[in-house]
Amino acid sequence: MDLSRIGYFVRRFSLDPSLIIVIVLLVVVVTAGFLLSDRFGTMRNFMNVLEQASGLGYASIGQALVVIVGGIDLSIGSVVTASTVLMAAVVNVHPALMIPMIFGTLFFGVVIGFVNGYVTIKTGVHPLIVTLGTASILNGTVLIYTLQPTGSVPYWFEEFSYGRIGNVPISGIVMLICFLLVWVFLRYFQAGRALYAVGGNPEAAHLSGIRSNRVILFAYSASGFFAALAGAYFVSRTGVGDPRVGDPITLASITPVILGGLILGGGKGNILGVCLGVILISLLSNLLNYMNVSTFIQWVIQGLIIIVAVSVYVHKGKKL
Amino acid sequence: MFTKITKIMFGAAIALTPALAIAEGYDGLPRTFLWNPNFNEVIDTSEYAGEGPFTIGFSNASQGDGWLGTFYHSIQYGVSQNLNKIGKFIVTDANGDPTKQISDIQDLLEQEIDLLLVNPATADALDPILGRTMRRGVPVVTVARRVDSDSSFVSFVTASDTALARMSATWMAESLNGEGRIVLLPGLAGASPAEMRLQAAKEVFAQFPDIQIIDTQYTGWSPANGRQIMAAIIQREGANNIDGVWADSGLQGSGSVEAFIGAGVTGVDIPPHTGGDLNGMYQLAQEHGFPFAGIDYTPSIGAAAVNLAVDVLEGTPVPQRLDVNFQVVISKGDETRSISADVPLLDYVAMDQPSELIMGSGIPNYDPTNFSVKLPN
Repeated sequence: MDLSRIGYFVRRFSLDPSLIIVIVLLVVVVTAGFLLSDRFGTMRNFMNVLEQASGLGYASIGQALVVIVGGIDLSIGSVVTASTVLMAAVVNVHPALMIPMIFGTLFFGVVIGFVNGYVTIKTGVHPLIVTLGTASILNGTVLIYTLQPTGSVPYWFEEFSYGRIGNVPISGIVMLICFLLVWVFLRYFQAGRALYAVGGNPEAAHLSGIRSNRVILFAYSASGFFAALAGAYFVSRTGVGDPRVGDPITLASITPVILGGLILGGGKGNILGVCLGVILISLLSNLLNYMNVSTFIQWVIQGLIIIVAVSVYVHKGKKL
Repeated sequence: MFTKITKIMFGAAIALTPALAIAEGYDGLPRTFLWNPNFNEVIDTSEYAGEGPFTIGFSNASQGDGWLGTFYHSIQYGVSQNLNKIGKFIVTDANGDPTKQISDIQDLLEQEIDLLLVNPATADALDPILGRTMRRGVPVVTVARRVDSDSSFVSFVTASDTALARMSATWMAESLNGEGRIVLLPGLAGASPAEMRLQAAKEVFAQFPDIQIIDTQYTGWSPANGRQIMAAIIQREGANNIDGVWADSGLQGSGSVEAFIGAGVTGVDIPPHTGGDLNGMYQLAQEHGFPFAGIDYTPSIGAAAVNLAVDVLEGTPVPQRLDVNFQVVISKGDETRSISADVPLLDYVAMDQPSELIMGSGIPNYDPTNFSVKLPN
């Protein structure tokens, strides 16, 4: 099927063009999985992947919101790390505080995100620099506190990451609900559409009465919230606060955003594409494990997919 | 669940046999087994006994340095020695990320492995998933690093970080007649082997009140970091004011020696050093003649772990903790009151081999650049 036919279907069924690339890649990966492994295509495995994708999913929602308003958040991994250590360290001493600490940790994430947004607005410094600085401060603070995984959480909290309703993972359900709520917010709420307006043309948004600063503060605060939620997921999964758990998350959270068709620079993109990007990355990792492919080759393949996806999107996107 | 049987020394001796096959120098039972003040526990694995060929999943933490590369070769060597028993061997690599390793293990379980062999990225974070693996009826054998809960694995295969560190630290303190200014160069901050060795070494140095630790710097087990860090310490303290360097591995220890050489200190004027593993460290000690004690954290634990995994799947009793022998290598004339050499430095060093070679692989004629063995799949 050539691109003009795809374009026809896109228009006919009002499909967002930015989703095409990631959908095509998903079809390729799933088809390859069915052909290459007899155990890949089971419902149990797909539920497994949904469970594994959740942490990356939460982090990517936050990154996507910041990218939509024209920013970037390089502190996500550090907020994830700090959240895990904060939660596990406090709960280890006061187990009765488990439930309050879930909310406390999410609030901590919001505060860090708010500070990122506030400093970005007030200083005019590029968010890449501001959030990198925040990341460094958080990482250093955590490592001063502990060099090794620390703390613990009650056994029942494992259910957030490992628990199932029927055969569906709880963390996966929460992730899909988060994506759905954010999609509804961005598409059907004025405040949500304001994020696109600010990211697309901040001056025009300002002139049309949108309080850009509030929108930017909201996006960064939400990013902190979702990073802390990812932190809670990782505490649930590992049972400890790990001072290095967030290290790979920052860059990993950008990959689904790019694959999902969100434009770095802001103003465009569909959050559902990010959701599909998260699932694509997780399925790919799962399939390559099934194929007994070395991690190093996995990196190469992931990198190639990102480059191919972005190249195709940039060059063909206008024709769709 | 498995049953723990204590005081079955005979069973333990049988299960320890694979470790003996790879020993050089000292070839008795592991000293940590003999000197353990508690009883050594042996696990009844009859509930896991099955008909081969078996499918074994290996979740590796990382191949991030020379030691880990050789360790992985040792694992492959162990599998190649059991081709008649292992029908499928599936490998994942988490690149040091414990959360990826959890997902890797879930993917291995979905492929219906008979046993999970795992080198955990961290001691704590893998505990929940390994506990779940055991409760699912899949036996777990941990190698190199363990997790906290005894119920999360059947057996742990190691070369004993604490024994290695205590012996090398004791040698250092006694070499200096109990007094002097020393530098500690541990491995990677936060990695359990590095932290355990550092803690055990400090326990020893605390017994010698006139030993002064003037600096402790993590090196990430990198020769380049070892050299850079020690060069800075020499610049600050002066080479003559450093009486000894305790490194938990020759990986960074060799860098430290090179820093002294770079500062114009050569031959026997280089202060006493510790640190095994890297052939280059042994070569430097032999070439310059400074007092030296090297103890490898032998990567042959990989092959020993594969052998033990097969034992588990055949229902043979195994020790809950298998300590693989290490060799104490000491330069000529530098034995101390408590620490004697198992092998003299001259007999152990491989002067005709590359300096990058990791010692103690247990693989005959081992050459990491051309290593290749037949694997099941």
